[in-house]
Amino acid sequence: MAVSNGRLVRKKDLETKRINLIINGQPYDLEVGSGSHQVDPAHTLAHTLRETLGLIGTKVSCDMGACASCTVLMDGKAVLSCMILTVECQGKEITTIEGLRDPKTGRLDPLQQAFIDHTAFQCGFCTPGIIMSAKALLSENPSPTEEEIKEALSGHFCRCISHYQVIKAILGASEKVRGDRDGR
Amino acid sequence: MRSFKHFNARMVDEACVLLEKYKGKAVLNAGGTDLLTTLKGEYLLQYPQVVVNIKTISGLDYITEDGDLLKIGALARLSSIASSPLLRDYYSVLAEAAHSVATPQIRNMATIGGNICQDVRCWYYRYPRHIGGPIQCARKGGSTCLAVTGDNRYNAIMGGKRCFAVCPSDTAVALAALNATIRIAGPEGERSVAITDFFSPMGNALKPDEMVLEINVPRITYPAKQKFLKFTLRKPIDFAIVSVATFITVKEGICTDARIALGAVAPGPVRAYKAEKVLKGRRIDHDAASEAAKEAVANAKPLSNNADKIEIAKTLVKMAILD
Amino acid sequence: MAGKYRFIGKATPRKDAMDIVTGRARFLNDLRLPDMLYGKVLRSPYPHAIIKKIDKRKAERLRGVKAILTCEDVPDWKGGTPRFARVLDRKVRFTGDAVALIAAESEEIAREAIGLIDVEYEVLPAVFDVEEALKPGAPQLYDEFPGNVVTPGTPFFGPECLKELIMGDVEKGFAEADVVAEGTFSFENIPNPLPPEAPGVIALWEEPNRVTLWVSNQFPYMDKITLFHVFGREVEVRTIGLPCGGSYGSKLMSWQIQSYAVLLSRATGKPVKMVMTKEEHLAAFTLRPGSRMHAKVGLKKDGTVTAVSGKWFIDTGYYSMTTQAQVAVALGEVQIMVRCPNWDLRPVIVCTNRNASGIVRGFGGQELKCTLVPILSLAMTKLDMDPFEFFKKNYIKPGDGYFWRDGNWYTCRGVDFTKAMDKGAEVFGWKEKWKGWLRPTAVNGTKRIGVGVGVHGNADIGEDASEAYVRLHPDGTAMLFSCVTEHGTGQRSNYVKMVAEVLQLPMERISGAPSDSLVNPYEFGPAGSRGTYAIGSAVIRAAEDAKRRLFEIFAPKLKVKPEDLETEDGEVFVRDNPEKRLPWKAMGVDRTITGYGRFDPDYTLTNCMMTFVEVEVDTETGKVTLLKAVNATDVGQIIDPQGLEGQLNGCLGSAGIDSAIFEETIIDRYTGHMLNSNMIDYKWRTFLELPQIENVVLETPFPSHRFHAVGVGEIATSPGPSAVLMAVANAIGTWLHEYPVTPERVLKALGKVMSKVRKGA
Repeated sequence: MAVSNGRLVRKKDLETKRINLIINGQPYDLEVGSGSHQVDPAHTLAHTLRETLGLIGTKVSCDMGACASCTVLMDGKAVLSCMILTVECQGKEITTIEGLRDPKTGRLDPLQQAFIDHTAFQCGFCTPGIIMSAKALLSENPSPTEEEIKEALSGHFCRCISHYQVIKAILGASEKVRGDRDGR
Repeated sequence: MRSFKHFNARMVDEACVLLEKYKGKAVLNAGGTDLLTTLKGEYLLQYPQVVVNIKTISGLDYITEDGDLLKIGALARLSSIASSPLLRDYYSVLAEAAHSVATPQIRNMATIGGNICQDVRCWYYRYPRHIGGPIQCARKGGSTCLAVTGDNRYNAIMGGKRCFAVCPSDTAVALAALNATIRIAGPEGERSVAITDFFSPMGNALKPDEMVLEINVPRITYPAKQKFLKFTLRKPIDFAIVSVATFITVKEGICTDARIALGAVAPGPVRAYKAEKVLKGRRIDHDAASEAAKEAVANAKPLSNNADKIEIAKTLVKMAILD
Repeated sequence: MAGKYRFIGKATPRKDAMDIVTGRARFLNDLRLPDMLYGKVLRSPYPHAIIKKIDKRKAERLRGVKAILTCEDVPDWKGGTPRFARVLDRKVRFTGDAVALIAAESEEIAREAIGLIDVEYEVLPAVFDVEEALKPGAPQLYDEFPGNVVTPGTPFFGPECLKELIMGDVEKGFAEADVVAEGTFSFENIPNPLPPEAPGVIALWEEPNRVTLWVSNQFPYMDKITLFHVFGREVEVRTIGLPCGGSYGSKLMSWQIQSYAVLLSRATGKPVKMVMTKEEHLAAFTLRPGSRMHAKVGLKKDGTVTAVSGKWFIDTGYYSMTTQAQVAVALGEVQIMVRCPNWDLRPVIVCTNRNASGIVRGFGGQELKCTLVPILSLAMTKLDMDPFEFFKKNYIKPGDGYFWRDGNWYTCRGVDFTKAMDKGAEVFGWKEKWKGWLRPTAVNGTKRIGVGVGVHGNADIGEDASEAYVRLHPDGTAMLFSCVTEHGTGQRSNYVKMVAEVLQLPMERISGAPSDSLVNPYEFGPAGSRGTYAIGSAVIRAAEDAKRRLFEIFAPKLKVKPEDLETEDGEVFVRDNPEKRLPWKAMGVDRTITGYGRFDPDYTLTNCMMTFVEVEVDTETGKVTLLKAVNATDVGQIIDPQGLEGQLNGCLGSAGIDSAIFEETIIDRYTGHMLNSNMIDYKWRTFLELPQIENVVLETPFPSHRFHAVGVGEIATSPGPSAVLMAVANAIGTWLHEYPVTPERVLKALGKVMSKVRKGA
């Protein structure tokens, strides 16, 4: 116990016991601890998604915040799930690649379809992360320029060099979305 | 990552209380983009027992003008700083510096407090434990700085002492040009330190139980030419090889005030006072800029393979002045 | 040409596209077996040392630790060429070398256990420079290799494996030359191909001597063969290839981590997963070999090469498995680039105390060209000869010959690439941009523009053997059995496309069997751009064989001869009377038809890639920026346009052009630590640094297989780096003798920064 602001602070009050968060629209209530199905304080969000919840679509490549493979959306913004502690995700809304398809119809997100149509990948390992960044971009800016796309994806490592086809796919998806919206 | 105890601080003093209680064995986590690499690489000789989340402290992410100060809360995200209309209009050097950091994802996560307090990037210091490390260099109490005899292309050309790592923070360089001070909170209350006094060759001015609370910048009420330039091999991701921040006021064609800060050349951002003096009272032209650029690196002492940083620094200073 | 075919040459979705874009694709690390353990490696802090003592008792007591293995606990399994590199040895030979293996219930526990193992070392002097390693008195890495010189030649290429290139009479050749030039260049930045998915494996041992491995590799069948030999030919090995998150050749060298997992599974009786961290991938997995050349070349005024003589030093790091093969292929490829009657090119493969070299796209040829092309350029400079014209004149033409990797002489029966080169030059604007040697194309203030060109090709497109089955089902579907995993080239889909074309069956009705060595026939794997011709030929033959058998069954039913039949969309019909037709179902629902196809090596076809680059050099900061690249090639017939585009754009990454610009591994010359073993300090190209790329692809039918195509994916990375060095020389008026072109090197070349002698071993 210690004193803060004239109050007694119980360390226990500051320790996290449970984490409630929403992943791909589903609420999750996770217990903190060192058991195999619990979330250890040292677990990253990427680890929890993949190892605890089986959402293996999020790929981990460098695990050091330098390649963006593990990108997911947190409250709509692109973040690196390997650099986030799950215990610090209380109340957050997370979207992963598994959450992009329409949950009712199973229809692909226009971005996913555009990536297929343009073969905007080679080995495909970095693709889920790239699609998530592109999703964050199009949500904020439905008609990005090529430069804006490059900027939004500037953290993504793609070793096969599919960059050129990725840019085309995102431009294509953006046109498609606008076309659908304008009833074309 | 090895495990640790984890706390969420709700208030600044809760964070300081925990730091005090765990005496050097607790670390603060804000954006996490630097701390988690430290924990995963296990390159320090000691692993923390406790991680204190400070993102749970509400209301510490403001960017606001108040009286004669611009105040930025330690938890303001780099993406907010880079896109803040106030900063872009009046403190553009800081917005540019924040935008130059890393990648969009990291800027969405990292905070300005964390950017200033992040650990140095020296690759000897950061060599990971699990592939034959860590290296016990001078910064970790060892006897020598391996960079001096080894590959020091990114190390200091000024001000190194025992350790020759450079300050990796881009925002700190802009803040140096803006005459910023850092407000620090600790168990004994608050104190302020000029940004240029915050860094030392072996670390920074924070005591083990203190945290950065706020950045203060004298309010800008007059138009000034501001520029942040960063030399890297790649536009995103990279830390600066050299960076320069300038803040120059010109009245009727004559320079009335000039502030030039160099980054990634020394343990902290370095104000090039002699170069500033060259410009003051003069018309800004190519000759003045070249003279100032030369003066800015006059006291540089390169290591065995980083003399290129001198040339790069000169070029950036000149470009920033003439911009 | 695309009009000829229903599927070939058309843009079609990749078969695995849906899995990739939805995150359902299961890469190795996405797989978890029941009761699986996690393996980790304790790695050496010294570049060269004898292990005196290992105390693992503390670590063994840690809860969750299931096995700890040291060199005392493991059989004498060895890899390398010749086989001398022990899986775990009493001696460590680079900083990061394996000392002990740990299996535990979680990765965290395994990692903690590493820290609890006490090791006592006797530290030995180390050597990091290829020529230093050859000097008398240099530290010796192996008793088996006196002077650190590795035995040349690889048994895999046969007893006459090309070990050096000696032919004609070089003295006579130099006497005939109008100009002679001599120089030393080195390509020793030993870049890492760095696939995003780190090397890894899951192994499951079954008593008494059987093991199954789930591998991430473009060569699952070869893993089986490699490991069979490593394990003393006493273990039955089954490999299952998963989608591979990039390899660029490198993951064929996974035998070490695979062996670790097998040993740990054998010790625990449980499946063991091992996946390298990115730091291990950078600091302890294989890299490109280092290359340094002292050579002399003779040229006639018209650009004829009269003689090449030189010594080629190849730094293979602490062991070699494929370096001899890379040297053999490189020596073959250099003859494809320049026709010359007189050669005396002597390679020496040297061991040094850094992590080992292995396979990287460009397989030896890139390493050789990066050092020889600048020396040829010195001679061209004396003649004021345009390098584009030089390459065009000297590149192999049908009817020319070369010694290939097996030491035999082959006569090229491919196509003339002159047209592709001319078209590439036109698209790039070479004639307008080339201003002569050491002259910039343009000067804009402190920035200088320079251009360069390089060329590369191999006769590997028909290397090694392939086999495939195609099985037809009565429901009008088919299945392809080929032990190929998808590693980015799209070839698994392309083979389906070839089957589709042969059977006239929609691609959706054809699936690929898992790349399991237990169910598929022999397959060397996609390497050396052999996928299209070699593997494709086996696949096509299997489909044709299946079709032949199908027609034999249907001929009596339709009362015609088999040769009068055709099939399309799962129906068989009479060619001259298409109304007469039967669905495949008519074969009987209790039947399948299996066709078999095989490809035997053919070294008489070569491919070609010419790359033009334009760079901008900032003479104040020394920074080099790639502005434009044009690749020119002739592929015979495009199989999949989008896949091909991706492969050609790949010229930048995976240790391609960027190894001339900023990719390098940086090793401390005293301690052997790889300093930039992280993805911030190891530089790779981002979305914000994309040069303009144009790909010129001609389709002159090749005498290859029924679709007249050849592969070019592997070679896309190789002509670029030497072209960049040339472009920088032209921009700044002087040559850099090393790669990459860092600001420090450029500023030194410009005289703006003083040279300091680099100290070190």
